[in-house]
Amino acid sequence: MPRSAIDDATGAVPVASAPKRRRAGGNSRPRRRSRFETVLPYLLVAPLAAFIIGLALVPAGFTIVQSFFKVNPLDPPTRFTGFGNFTKLFNNDAVVGAFSNTAYYVVVGVALSTVLGIMFAMVLRRPFRGRSLLIAVLILPWALPGVVEGILWTGMFDTNNGLINSVMSTLHLMNGNAVLLGQNRLLTITLIELVQVWQITPLSALLILAALQVVPDELYEAAEIDGCGAWAAFWRITLPLARPGIAIAMVQATIATLNVFDQPYVLNGAATTGASVTEQTYFISFQNLDFGQGYALSLLITVVTLLISLVVVRVVYRRVDL
Amino acid sequence: MPRTTQGVPGWLTRGAVVAGVAALVAGTAACSSSGSGGSTKTKGVTITVALAADAPPKAALAAFTQQTGIKVKWVNIDWDSLQTKISAAATAKTYFADATDVDWSRVGQLGKLGWFYPMDKYLNTKSMTADLPQLASFTTGGKVIGIPYDASFMVTTVNTDMFAKAGITTMPTTLDEYTNDLKQVQAKGISKHPLNIPFTAAEGLSTYWYETTGALGGTILDQHGKPQFKDPSSPGYKAAEWMVNAMKTGLVPPGNINVSDSQGEQTLMAKGVVATTFSDYSGLVGSLYNVPSSSSVVNKVKYIPTPGATGTAANLSNPDGIGIPKQAKYPNAAAKFIEWFTSVQQQVDFSGANGAAKAWAAYALPSHLSAVQEMARKGNLVGGDQLSAMLAKSKPVFPGGAPAWYPQFSNSVYTHLHGAAVGSESVSQAINAIASTATGLAG
Repeated sequence: MPRSAIDDATGAVPVASAPKRRRAGGNSRPRRRSRFETVLPYLLVAPLAAFIIGLALVPAGFTIVQSFFKVNPLDPPTRFTGFGNFTKLFNNDAVVGAFSNTAYYVVVGVALSTVLGIMFAMVLRRPFRGRSLLIAVLILPWALPGVVEGILWTGMFDTNNGLINSVMSTLHLMNGNAVLLGQNRLLTITLIELVQVWQITPLSALLILAALQVVPDELYEAAEIDGCGAWAAFWRITLPLARPGIAIAMVQATIATLNVFDQPYVLNGAATTGASVTEQTYFISFQNLDFGQGYALSLLITVVTLLISLVVVRVVYRRVDL
Repeated sequence: MPRTTQGVPGWLTRGAVVAGVAALVAGTAACSSSGSGGSTKTKGVTITVALAADAPPKAALAAFTQQTGIKVKWVNIDWDSLQTKISAAATAKTYFADATDVDWSRVGQLGKLGWFYPMDKYLNTKSMTADLPQLASFTTGGKVIGIPYDASFMVTTVNTDMFAKAGITTMPTTLDEYTNDLKQVQAKGISKHPLNIPFTAAEGLSTYWYETTGALGGTILDQHGKPQFKDPSSPGYKAAEWMVNAMKTGLVPPGNINVSDSQGEQTLMAKGVVATTFSDYSGLVGSLYNVPSSSSVVNKVKYIPTPGATGTAANLSNPDGIGIPKQAKYPNAAAKFIEWFTSVQQQVDFSGANGAAKAWAAYALPSHLSAVQEMARKGNLVGGDQLSAMLAKSKPVFPGGAPAWYPQFSNSVYTHLHGAAVGSESVSQAINAIASTATGLAG
């Protein structure tokens, strides 16, 4: 095997056959790396690594350890409780109810944002007049803080002066005084989640759109020549090739919906009809100051998020080589 | 032909995605660091003041700096985030402000935790008691941990125009008369749903219940934190029953199941949709209902003495206070600021009595009785005479001070009262659940 090939492939030269250092050219072999060049990649990565370790891994480790302790400044000292925090959480009706609400948020939110994301991505895939403007408008809900969206939609859902009731009344679909939030649990959760879907769908659409941008047109042309219709092309070309983007979109939707806080809190307060697990984490940690249980609940949310994300990635993700 | 593949590279990629997810999720966990001792310096320092309000006029802060040599950096954080920040900073023993909010409802908790300096250390709080009726709400274990800067207490507001149209010219003095008047307003078609009760599961619902209980002559908890509302004949039980019945019988708009206190003020009371709010906030007539840009009931809403069981009742306080967290960098400088910020003269200025340039838009009502009286005398306070009389007689929600576990208790109150209004539980079940929470927490 020629030497250059070995060098190219490994970036290193075997010690036994290493050429002696020469003063000047006349040799095409790459020069030895200086110490600085060897260290440089590590130096460049170091800030990011320190950032991740300091702000993610260390707090995560801290959270895991503290979740097995009673940490409550109102009830000192901090002491080991084993799985005590977890058993208390599972015996807490508000937490159990919040898990059930959150499960619904995840199912509806992930499914709807993915389907809508695919639809928007399909529409935006081809160039057309005003496409850039449409993308900019599409991004807006994603760019708005959840609290602002909550306040905005509070006005829309308002029983007395809200737009939804007004439209429904105009269309003779309802009497115009329907209580949309807070009365019926299923309706409340659905409407709250629709507001979140409105927020997270733009990112899903952009992620899927990015995946679709690399699909060559020749594939569709070849498929068309082979008699493939639009629907079949979508199922057999578009969807399989968009799977990496769809998987990432679904994972981000899973994280967002499992951690939903702003929308239920602003739209429905602390009512059990819509409270999410992150709301309960907030109440337990910062209202009750029971940080041990707060850590435990955060850890549970983390584990659930990881498991669901793992399933989504395993089922949906496929590597695409074009 | 492009292909989809599975194998080691894919697994690695998935691993990376999952690791990324882990990092993202774990990134929400808490951090901690050590705190620092405060400096006694009061000259040439900059203090941070964090409150849930816009900054006072620049000229006022500049005048304070000129007087004392202390610069003020004002930070406006919404109330919920501010409470979270106070807890997080105190737990982590980190600095975030030299002076910040002390909410009446957290006084017991903050006192027990020792997160704030006793104000007695810096100011002569005993001499303030007579002119600051709400100082009691900030006293815990014999120590004052905050100074009220804005007198807030719960009052009954009535749209007298709507009442007059229904033929009611004499204002009710008992809850029964009040309820009958509401029915009359409704029957005459003046308002379809005349009463505003903010039934969303939030703090505003709890305070409404406390005020109604107080009006009926009762109290929520005794000195030891034991519930006083379990008996069906108790004022607390009757208050809950009255509120839920008002919802069920249509005196309250059905949409109020999800209306917060501020929403109710702005979209119902200020728009003339409802005729009255039994437990409203002091100062709103001047700051909201009489402001033409945000109200359609200008000069129509009045404060009335709160109707009680057999006659008018005292009003309960829910004032805003300011204190010095233990991690403050310059506690002495912060104390000087608090002294200036809560002084009678400054409060009169903030209220706009001495001209718009000195007025602070975020300010509702002075906490000093003498300031309220001066404003009333000068005719600068809408409903000033009633307000100063009510302020003088106002009482703390919890005579023994808010318990350390108040936030947890309040969460139970508003969650269950909301549940009773929705119909997912009966009043009796809601009361039992709230009482059980209180009993469990009181120990």
